[in-house]
Amino acid sequence: MVYGKELNKRSPLRVFERSIHGGLGKGNIGVVTSRKGVGKTAMLIGVSLDDLLQDRKVLHVTVGGSVDNLSRFYEEIFRDLAASSKIEDLAETRLTMVSNRHLLAYRDGDFSVERIRKSMGFLAEHAAFEPYALILDGWPDFETVTEEDLAGLKKLAEDMQVEIWITALRHREGQERDERDVPVEVAAHDEHISVIVRLEPKADHVNLQIVKDHENEDLADMHLELDPKTLLLKWG
Amino acid sequence: MSTDLSKVRNIGISAHIDSGKTTLTERVLFYTDRIHAIHEVRGKDGVGATMDSMELERERGITIASAATHVEWKDFHINIIDTPGHVDFTIEVERSLRVLDGAVLILCAVAGVQSQSITVDRQMKRYKVPRIAFVNKCDRSGANPFRVTEGLIEKLGHNAVMMQLPIGLEADHEGLVDLVTMKAIYFDGENGETMREEEIPASLMPEAETRREMMLDAVSMFSDELMEAMIEDAVTEEMIHSAVRAGTLSRDLTPVFMGSAYKNRGVQPLLNAVLAYLPEPREVQNEGIRLEKGKDDETFVVSNDPEDSTIALAFKLEDGQYGQLTYIRIYQGGMSKGDTIKNNRTGQKVKVGRLVRMHSDKMQDIERAEAGDIVALFGIDCASGDTFTSLDLDASMASMHVPDPVISLSVKPIDKKAQDNMSKALGRFTREDPTFRVSVDDETGDTIVHGMGELHLDVYIERMKREYKAEVEVSPPQVSYREALSKPVAFDYTHKKQTGGSGQYAKMQGILEPLAEGEFEFVNEVRGGNIPSEFISAVEKGFKSALDKGPTIGAHVVGIKVVLQDGNSHAVDSSDNAFMTCARDAFRQFYPKGGPKVLEPLMLVSVETPREFQGEAMGTLMQRRAIVLGTTEDAGFVRIDAEVPLSEMFGYATVLRSVTQGKAGFTMEFKRYAPAPVAVADELKKEYQEKVKQGH
Repeated sequence: MVYGKELNKRSPLRVFERSIHGGLGKGNIGVVTSRKGVGKTAMLIGVSLDDLLQDRKVLHVTVGGSVDNLSRFYEEIFRDLAASSKIEDLAETRLTMVSNRHLLAYRDGDFSVERIRKSMGFLAEHAAFEPYALILDGWPDFETVTEEDLAGLKKLAEDMQVEIWITALRHREGQERDERDVPVEVAAHDEHISVIVRLEPKADHVNLQIVKDHENEDLADMHLELDPKTLLLKWG
Repeated sequence: MSTDLSKVRNIGISAHIDSGKTTLTERVLFYTDRIHAIHEVRGKDGVGATMDSMELERERGITIASAATHVEWKDFHINIIDTPGHVDFTIEVERSLRVLDGAVLILCAVAGVQSQSITVDRQMKRYKVPRIAFVNKCDRSGANPFRVTEGLIEKLGHNAVMMQLPIGLEADHEGLVDLVTMKAIYFDGENGETMREEEIPASLMPEAETRREMMLDAVSMFSDELMEAMIEDAVTEEMIHSAVRAGTLSRDLTPVFMGSAYKNRGVQPLLNAVLAYLPEPREVQNEGIRLEKGKDDETFVVSNDPEDSTIALAFKLEDGQYGQLTYIRIYQGGMSKGDTIKNNRTGQKVKVGRLVRMHSDKMQDIERAEAGDIVALFGIDCASGDTFTSLDLDASMASMHVPDPVISLSVKPIDKKAQDNMSKALGRFTREDPTFRVSVDDETGDTIVHGMGELHLDVYIERMKREYKAEVEVSPPQVSYREALSKPVAFDYTHKKQTGGSGQYAKMQGILEPLAEGEFEFVNEVRGGNIPSEFISAVEKGFKSALDKGPTIGAHVVGIKVVLQDGNSHAVDSSDNAFMTCARDAFRQFYPKGGPKVLEPLMLVSVETPREFQGEAMGTLMQRRAIVLGTTEDAGFVRIDAEVPLSEMFGYATVLRSVTQGKAGFTMEFKRYAPAPVAVADELKKEYQEKVKQGH
């Protein structure tokens, strides 16, 4: 295995996984929340790469974005990861990443959970592609998303047996938040969400804080940081 | 020739094959008074459009090679470099992009941004070419310039802004609204040569006002003056022009024009936009490389000053009736008839005999050309990509990226006459196109031609037959595989021969290592003269020569580093020859121990299909060992991007057409070499071993 057992063990994602009691888990939804530009997408690409390099398939959906841009973003983060984790056979590792990944862009604004379900069915049938995780970029907007949408997404996670990661924007001002500092629009859908992670920019790094961990009350303080330059989880 | 560079434009016209590029160019030539009749592409008069000067292009209705044409419009000199649209001719596109300063991106009002436009746009981004867009075919059924502008924004990421509004579309297309002057424009006369300005039709006024607001909002980002004027309601046309120009030059804005070249509508305003918004030569930064000793290949920005030493790039060769025609772009200094200049690749001095300005295949003799201009030299022997300078300058224009050929086939002339003609043709083509190469199979003696794709080679084979009357038999195309080491291997080898007379002796130790980037690297770490320094280059040569034919499948070995650490020599029996042989044999013996792998060329394939055929299209890719990178769903269409081994792509066009009822299209470009699957590699190894056994 190109990623290497040793590297895999050392990955900060293992700490993250342990902190949320073994990971997000199939059938569950996780939310990364932060202010604009702090690194939600980069963090999720990091999570995705970790799956991909363990030979798990990931479907990364962008609503409104483009496959080209997303693919470039992956390449950049892959290069940073390769540099910080000293992956040896780059070509082979890159091949593992690319062949386990499917990027899907919806560009016409006509988006629904049902459409993802159809696409996933299509990929399973025609490309034998059944993802372990689904990363959703550009949707939902928590300010307009309905209860029905989130329930639909949760059902999709359960039916398709995938982990689903989404993001939520926290505004600088004028946004109501609950006692966990989670925007109330996100908190309103708590019953469908299993894990909530908050990214907090500090002077020289970005702090990663778990604010919801399945049903666990006792939240781990994992001291995980994102590198502010690469927006990647820092390797210990 | 005017030396006022502010009145010079070097532009390219770039587009998808069927978006009407040739028709538009033809109209431009007509309006600028250089030709007197308009010939349609695939027209009935059998003459064909003027820019497609090669017979083959006329037949296929596509433009293959770029030709530079000079036109004059309102006192300005415009050199139009016609760029080919097919990806198989990438090097032609790249070469054109290198010498032009700005481009007109043509889009079809019906088909919009197609996969080909995406490829061409990617190349333009790479060469930092400022662009304006022209939405053509507004008279066609289904035309929608609004959607095309959206496509520019969404698919290509341009900050595209409509500068005009169509007056009617499809069969009702009559003219345009100019959102800067807020006038309606109609095109009268048999060929639309007379522009008539009218008030905007009342029914269009509300939309024109909204669109103008949108345009001003976007454009004012590039001018504080305009932004202030908008607040005070004191906007002038000049302010808008200079803001659009600023945005276009910094490549932050793509102004969108429209019309129908075929129906003679919208061409003159487009020409005006070329003058107003695309850069003059001095506004583009071009770099050269110093070749003087001690300068270590440092780069410098060319001056564009006609008084400086001359530097010019030969970007295109054409074989004319009277000898070789060499298109050049002059970057600084100038060139007059009778001047002596030098070719910096060969060091040869050449005299400028005839200097001509080209109008497609007609030419006009001129006495002098200066920095910023594009002209042609007559009867000068050189290769495409050569740099010419005045005698006091040692410099070259930075080289262009030339990809390695990925496909080959053998050509056999049918008789002696064909043999002679074929050599002439091949000599010409290799000088014209660095991605087209020729070699001889030293076992079979066959001539092998190498290129970038099936169509690329097809075109040259056709040209051989038509232009050179060389009848040849052609083998099916072969993929160019490579081999490479997968792990380091130490070598220790002694070459010793004593067969009477002087003997041969050489001994060497070191490591063969895989190299992540590049083809070959040689590192000499021998200390204390164990291998005398005069033999080191022979060692390097020996290893290099062994790379031509790897022992695994007989393919070229790439990505290898040879570290020479120690060795031994004999005072009498060691020689260059002994060390070369020793290196070659050491390579043959030890390379197989480094787990050699077979590499195959992977192509980036983009298939665009209506959604109802998505399954079929995906199926054709999955059957071809594709790694699907992603899919994009957009308004009833799906684009699938995949990496596919070239060996699986032969005949793909036919297959895709048949499973999608001809409704899907695809583009393909070389991506990289990657390890071939074990089954494929084993098959190739078996074939090679059979071949070796049979004594080849």
